[in-house]
Amino acid sequence: MHKYVLKRLLLLIPVMLGVTFIVFGIMHLTPGSPARLKLGEKATPEQIAALEHEMGLDKPFIIQYGNFVKNGLKGDFGRSYLSNKPVFEEVLDRFPATLKLAVAAMTIAVVIGIPAGIISATKQYTLVDSVTMVLALIGVSMPVFWLGLMLILIFSVNLGWLPSSGASTWMHLILPSITLGLSSTAIITRMTRSSMLEVIRQDYIRTARAKGVPERKVINKHALRNALIPVVTVIGLQFGSLLGGAVLTESVFSWPGVGKLMIDSIKKQDIPVVMASIIFIAITFSIVNLAVDILYAFIDPRIKSQYQ
Amino acid sequence: MSNEFLSIEDLHIHYITQEGTVKAVNGIDLKLNKGETLGLVGETGAGKTTTALGILRLIPNPPGKIMDGKIILEGRNLLELSEEEMRKIRGKKVSMIFQDPMTSLNPVMTVGEQIAEVIEIHEDVNKEEAKEKAKEMLELVGISGGRAGDYPHQFSGGMKQRVVIAIALACSPELLIADEPTTALDVTIQAQVLDLMQGLKKEFNTAMILITHDLGVVAEACDKVAIIYAGEIVEYADIESLFASPKHPYTQGLFASIPSLDEDVERLNPIKGLMPEPTDLPSGCRFHPRCPYAEAKCSEMDPKSVEVGAEHRVKCLIYSGEVSGKGIENE
Repeated sequence: MHKYVLKRLLLLIPVMLGVTFIVFGIMHLTPGSPARLKLGEKATPEQIAALEHEMGLDKPFIIQYGNFVKNGLKGDFGRSYLSNKPVFEEVLDRFPATLKLAVAAMTIAVVIGIPAGIISATKQYTLVDSVTMVLALIGVSMPVFWLGLMLILIFSVNLGWLPSSGASTWMHLILPSITLGLSSTAIITRMTRSSMLEVIRQDYIRTARAKGVPERKVINKHALRNALIPVVTVIGLQFGSLLGGAVLTESVFSWPGVGKLMIDSIKKQDIPVVMASIIFIAITFSIVNLAVDILYAFIDPRIKSQYQ
Repeated sequence: MSNEFLSIEDLHIHYITQEGTVKAVNGIDLKLNKGETLGLVGETGAGKTTTALGILRLIPNPPGKIMDGKIILEGRNLLELSEEEMRKIRGKKVSMIFQDPMTSLNPVMTVGEQIAEVIEIHEDVNKEEAKEKAKEMLELVGISGGRAGDYPHQFSGGMKQRVVIAIALACSPELLIADEPTTALDVTIQAQVLDLMQGLKKEFNTAMILITHDLGVVAEACDKVAIIYAGEIVEYADIESLFASPKHPYTQGLFASIPSLDEDVERLNPIKGLMPEPTDLPSGCRFHPRCPYAEAKCSEMDPKSVEVGAEHRVKCLIYSGEVSGKGIENE
């Protein structure tokens, strides 16, 4: 098991190299010069050329990328063109807000989604099931930005109950986490339902019933744990992407998270911050995935025996 | 009548689907005394497993439904009990061994937990005592108690079936239903498992319904046999009279299909035709389209069960005298 985790952590190295290479390449291909951006509209071509030389931007792409990796290994990913702060500091400053939002949204999704999926599966083809499935379909189909705006319209503008932007109190957390959590809730509900439906037809569920196990326990103990693998996978994927910053939700609610930072930096062509955000997102995503894979082992002993 | 332990009367079980109603069990009558073993023999789809699940009221519903009949266990009609009362019977008074040991055990629970669970539900013991007893049960079926903490995937098929047997016998049930307990196992393990079940059955004085399509298993393990065809019992007899003089043309066909040891045969001798589609059963005697002795009457009249000997009943018009049955072998 330890060996497996170590192996997975080592695998992060090529993943990171791949991610940075692709992002660096895309950034390289985008028009516009960072030097011009830094110096402003009035700079002369000579000044720009001088700064480009100083920043190493006149060197071939592969050398630039090499330098980037070399500095990165020393922990130096450059400074923001705008604030002149080290980029990782910028990103990490924003991370707590994103984490808070992601945890709140996932809590909503898990607390509602799993029980709803179980109920829906055990009452398949009943009214409860149909209503749940229709709601889940609406949940996955609603665009996040639209839902966010509607919630703002109802609860902030019309009713005046909740603030529409910022992150200073827990009241600020309510609307963005609902906006963000709703589609995950729907996805988790659907996943739990289909996985449970498959599991409750298995022979070992019949065995449990034949043992005289009460129906509640048959579902919550025997069936649920077996149905959990695909559900945990979905939760992990959702949580991983939320941790990378929910770009749309954070923009709609002016939530000061990583997603908003990234969008703002792209708009202002603050390339080092964009790079740092993307690398950060890739790392968190990989770590969440690893955590999910480790969790599998605790859910299913057959998987554990494969992690040698 | 008083030593009668289980009696099934006129049991009908249907599966109601959109494509039509599957009449899986059609008026089955069975009787079983304490400590006796009854063999339930028939082809795949004849309604053997449905009957067994019906006794435990574990027919998946929907689509399955017990339409009519009585299942009387020690004077109580199981079909009239509440779900909660029924739950107390399952695993305690009546328990079941399922056909496929590979899929009958929960893959995410240790075998010890799975055995202990049934003990905890039905007996007045705490967790520790249940665990201890689970280990004893494992030893009883020939698996070291030290393996109680292992998961099903760490056992072979034969060992899994032993675990399933341990679960079924953990609360010393009075009736054990074994649904093709050896079908999924290879031949050497089959014999071991059968021996084990026979031994334990004697030890606990358990009555048993053994579902199988293997007449060899029947000969080895059963006191009485019911031959089931298209959801009906076509012949019921004790083991000696059935093997000595099978009466129903279907039973005779089954015996004829077993290749003899001392004759050289080129080809096997199967019963001609196929089991009827259970959504569209033939009129009259269900077996008449495949019966070599069938006459016109067979497709019109529903045969009644007739006594042809002590505790030997046959559902065939030949024995009620409606049809001549010319050429049928009869001692």
